[in-house]
Amino acid sequence: MSEKDTTHFGYREVDKSDKAGMVADVFHSVASRYDLMNDLMSGGIHRIWKRFTIELSGVRKGHAVLDIAGGTGDLAARFSEIVGDTGRVVLADINDSMLQVGRDKLLDKGLQGNLEFVQADAQYLPFPDESFDCITIAFGLRNVTDKDLALRSMLRVLKPGGRLLVLEFSKPDSELLSKAYDAYSFRVLPLMGRLVANDSDSYQYLAESIRMHPDQDTLRDMMEDAGFTRCEYHNMTGGIVALHKGVKA
Amino acid sequence: MVINPTLHTAIMAAFEGALNRALLLAPTTREELAGLEDRVFALHCNAPELEVFLQPTSDGIRLMGMYDGDITTSVRGAASDFAELVTASDPAATLINGGLELQGDSAPLLELQRILATLDMDWEAPLVDTFGDVAGHQVAQMLRAAAGWGNQASRSLARQLDEYIHEEARLIPPRLELEDFFRDVQELGLRVDRLQSRAQRLRRRLQKLQG
Repeated sequence: MSEKDTTHFGYREVDKSDKAGMVADVFHSVASRYDLMNDLMSGGIHRIWKRFTIELSGVRKGHAVLDIAGGTGDLAARFSEIVGDTGRVVLADINDSMLQVGRDKLLDKGLQGNLEFVQADAQYLPFPDESFDCITIAFGLRNVTDKDLALRSMLRVLKPGGRLLVLEFSKPDSELLSKAYDAYSFRVLPLMGRLVANDSDSYQYLAESIRMHPDQDTLRDMMEDAGFTRCEYHNMTGGIVALHKGVKA
Repeated sequence: MVINPTLHTAIMAAFEGALNRALLLAPTTREELAGLEDRVFALHCNAPELEVFLQPTSDGIRLMGMYDGDITTSVRGAASDFAELVTASDPAATLINGGLELQGDSAPLLELQRILATLDMDWEAPLVDTFGDVAGHQVAQMLRAAAGWGNQASRSLARQLDEYIHEEARLIPPRLELEDFFRDVQELGLRVDRLQSRAQRLRRRLQKLQG
């Protein structure tokens, strides 16, 4: 197997064609307890990170928004309220279990009318060119097999002037925080996963995939290489999470 | 934004939650706020350094630490200037004469200030939900009486203190007296200016006659 045909799945080197299936298995396994685990793992701070993403999105009434890897629909729910009846929000996820949980959750909240649910691969988005004012992908990009391909696909479906927001785990900006974060990720998270979701492997993968994800500057460069302009990022919680923003010229 | 984005966003979320919970008890205020829907007010505070974007919606008020779009009204100043505007009996005069720097349309801002200043919450509703109709109403009556007594006492204290400072101790002049004094000073300044220009005119005429 040549180097070009492999990618990482956590710390493991796997065939590119196998990664999507392996990631899918992880999310099939955690879908039902995804929200609970997010709250437990982050102490609820993931809601603040997502809120900041919504603020930076600049989404307004009448906008079309695509939430890729939208999972259980936290961002899509808020976007649906903001864009109103004249807007459109598409919640896309490659994983049908996650999409099912997200759709049930949003419908139970009474959100409908401007919401669409699409099972889609971020690398090959099934939408016409220049369809959206804003695209968000929260905690999803690191699971995508070919990130460059996905970024180019997002650029294609964005309208000129539209913005992409990538919310993703990143590299802590202090050595001390980095050590504490490592200890938390590799000791506490798998244990929490075993106790709450009865699945420690998925949370081991979570910790490993975060370490393998490009750091802040690398991801910004990747976005620029894909064709985005005015690329910048905001570190949150000491760089544990970073929000990258890029605009389609 | 100067403070950490996570902290800033968390503070905004907490304030927004508290404000909207309070607005749930004031349906009239919510209806009035809906009239300002889609207007965005930017509040830039210099001391302490803080930026808040406020957007009324049909569901309440949205507070944001960042906003990238059209701003209806932008106000810049120190926290004390904002506090003065919020509590002012004449907000328009405070906006003109105070330390706040204003950009954009002032009318929606004054309307927002008026709506929030006249916020009238129905405290009885959550009490009745918790304690039942009879007990809830009794508790609400007691709280209303206590609040009424507190308001009356504070108004009376302020009035008496005002009277003592101005009339009895004569520590500072009353407002009307002070305004009269300022008017006299202004009038005197104007008369001096007129006298000066008259003197200059006469001097020029004298120089012409001598020349």
